[in-house]
Amino acid sequence: MALSQNWLAYDQPDLQGSVAVARTNGWLEAYIAVDGVHCAACVRGVQKALGGRVRDLSVHLVSRTATFRFNPVDAPLSALLQSLDDAGYRPHPLAQDLDAEASRLERRRSLARLAVATICAMQVMMLAWPDYFDAGKIDAGIEQLLRWSQWVIATPAVLYCGWPYLASAWQQIRLATVGMDTPIAVSILIAYAFSAWRTLQGEGAIYFDAATMFIMLLGAGRYLEGRTRAIAVDRLRSLAGRRPLTATRIIAGHVETVATALLNRGDEICVAPGDVVPADGALLDTLAQLDESILTGESRPVYRKHGDTVLAGSLNGNPFDLHLRVTGAGEHTRLAGINRMLLAAERDKPTLVLTTDRIASRFVLGVLFSAAMAAFYRWPHGADSAINAALAVLLVSCPCALSLAIPAVYAAAANLLSMKGVLLLRPSALDQAAQASHIVFDKTGTLTRAEMEVARVEVSGGMPREACIAVAAALERGLHHPLAKAIGALDLSKSCSDRSLETRGIAGTVEGRSYRLEAETHLDHGDAMTWLALTDDDGGVLARFGLRASPRTGAAHVVGEFKQLGLHPIMCTGDAQAPACAAATALGLPEVHWNQTPADKLGHLRSLQKAGAIVMAVGDGINDGPLLSAADVGVAMPGGAAITQAHADVILTGDSLDGLLELHRIAGVSQLRIRQNLGWAIGYNLLMLPFAFLGYLTPVLAALGMSVSSLIVVANALRLGGSVAPANAPGYPDAQMEH
Amino acid sequence: MEILYLLIPMGVVLIAGCIAVLLWAFANGQFDQLDEIGKSMPDDGR
Repeated sequence: MALSQNWLAYDQPDLQGSVAVARTNGWLEAYIAVDGVHCAACVRGVQKALGGRVRDLSVHLVSRTATFRFNPVDAPLSALLQSLDDAGYRPHPLAQDLDAEASRLERRRSLARLAVATICAMQVMMLAWPDYFDAGKIDAGIEQLLRWSQWVIATPAVLYCGWPYLASAWQQIRLATVGMDTPIAVSILIAYAFSAWRTLQGEGAIYFDAATMFIMLLGAGRYLEGRTRAIAVDRLRSLAGRRPLTATRIIAGHVETVATALLNRGDEICVAPGDVVPADGALLDTLAQLDESILTGESRPVYRKHGDTVLAGSLNGNPFDLHLRVTGAGEHTRLAGINRMLLAAERDKPTLVLTTDRIASRFVLGVLFSAAMAAFYRWPHGADSAINAALAVLLVSCPCALSLAIPAVYAAAANLLSMKGVLLLRPSALDQAAQASHIVFDKTGTLTRAEMEVARVEVSGGMPREACIAVAAALERGLHHPLAKAIGALDLSKSCSDRSLETRGIAGTVEGRSYRLEAETHLDHGDAMTWLALTDDDGGVLARFGLRASPRTGAAHVVGEFKQLGLHPIMCTGDAQAPACAAATALGLPEVHWNQTPADKLGHLRSLQKAGAIVMAVGDGINDGPLLSAADVGVAMPGGAAITQAHADVILTGDSLDGLLELHRIAGVSQLRIRQNLGWAIGYNLLMLPFAFLGYLTPVLAALGMSVSSLIVVANALRLGGSVAPANAPGYPDAQMEH
Repeated sequence: MEILYLLIPMGVVLIAGCIAVLLWAFANGQFDQLDEIGKSMPDDGR
């Protein structure tokens, strides 16, 4: 009998501290995942369940999470969670690791800057309009009024909207590095200061319009960049927070729910059927069946006896509660060890030096030098002419289009991919995906479905086929392991009593007769199926069931396509030899490695990378975590461990391996668009430079040309085919909450 | 065209007002959820 969920533990300060963040006036902000929210009506349901007890409730359909602020004194978190549970929306408090508030404020500020910059640019341009035409002499007083007005409106644009560039350039100068922001800041300041000086003088052309238009375009690029990143951060937040936060501890016969972090060695804990084991422990029951597939890739149930170690992260596959004595909790579990390996692997991940960064420093020095040269060249014609020329050079070569070239393509690619069921968590993975030479697949849960199916039933003749199936189903029904689920689903007609676990299987009584259903591990069938034998009282075999994890539909097709594209597919699995080889043959994979530990998988990856290969890795379990985080492109399946997904570069939200083909295809097209964009941006700059140098290009024309150039770059990026409006990702299976 | 001496400064003040309102809207979180709002049901007030 499963223990009822005890929400009261979340009112304890330590646990509450890890799932809720303090805001103003003693109010706390909680971030929870909610099951069962599919549509707008469910959003309304959540709103009604929580009622007026919370403030600022926002429910996110795509990530199926909710944020709200509550006052722990008036409305304790346990009561709110209970209301949600009662309404049918099972809540899961998420540990708050990433600082979401800071990124939310940053996004808000970025959009605000863009909005203000746009308004200012439009107004300044309107006031500067008369200067663009040679329609006659403007009254000197009005002209001066127009100048002053432009100055007033341009000031907030430069100080508020231009602040990120000014601050960043100052940082770069202080650290004696050169980056893109330096010439940007220099151009803005020169244009602004010079125009202000001219306004005070009362005569001459001014360039507030060029400066503000410049700031607006740069702001657009920055905003696009931030938006793409924001979508990924939201998903990462909801994944990274999923861990078993509470455990059930038994102290002196008294049952209590405590935070997992507070478990000590020697504590006795209790794990409900189907739940995840929260800590490593010694088994106190006589015999138990565990599902370790997400930890090791082993697709068959593991049997532990009294005293054996049960690992944190494995699933309780029995119909009864497990009792364990904790031997390692928190950082001392095998699970934590794998996570440490994952984080270490991530630090050593091959970083891609972005194309823009590589050419940036050389480009920037060249720009500043050219501007100085232009001023020097035009000096004989007067200071006015010199500054005009320098400004024109700075504005025309300032990388507006360059800074939009890549973010625009990433944003368009991420959008298009999300419509096809692929979530890009790190856009730089797109570059790597286009150049991948090898692709490493995990087996259990990735190439094969996590569920098993009954492939063969062989009857020995003692009982009719239907009866055998019914008895076997009765014995296995209600257990949580994939084998049990597969058999239990076959038939619902009979029920079993006196069920007990034996060393290799289940024994029980159905309709008065006792039976056993056991795994035939002593016979090596060599056909990679797991065989269970149904025997009666006397030990005579009545029937045998062959189960296997069926390959995903389309997996063979995907493998074949990749071979045709010239990539080398490999299988690396924690499963045993027979099932691994059988799957490899069925799917056409030329290279297989079995019985791989997480460290083994990582080792294979490293040797491939050392030989110069670019590796795409696809996996789902905790044991794939280090592999995915160290790979050039780590792709996670959505139904697997949350922590693996959180450290991957791509998640196949559509739960289909076809997403890999889409990723590869769109990555290739994106590379092409990026190269086109960069080529255009640089080519345009080089073309216009001599004109600016020689004084034929006024700063206004330079700024105008820049905007057209930027538009061309964005339009080219949009050619990727997605619409500009954000798309909903297709529904995806929830990551296993417990991991 | 002396009226411009009134209209142009008035325009500038108007713009300043617009920007102030815009910044208030941002600070109030009006632009935080551009996508999710479209998916929530209209509040009938019941």
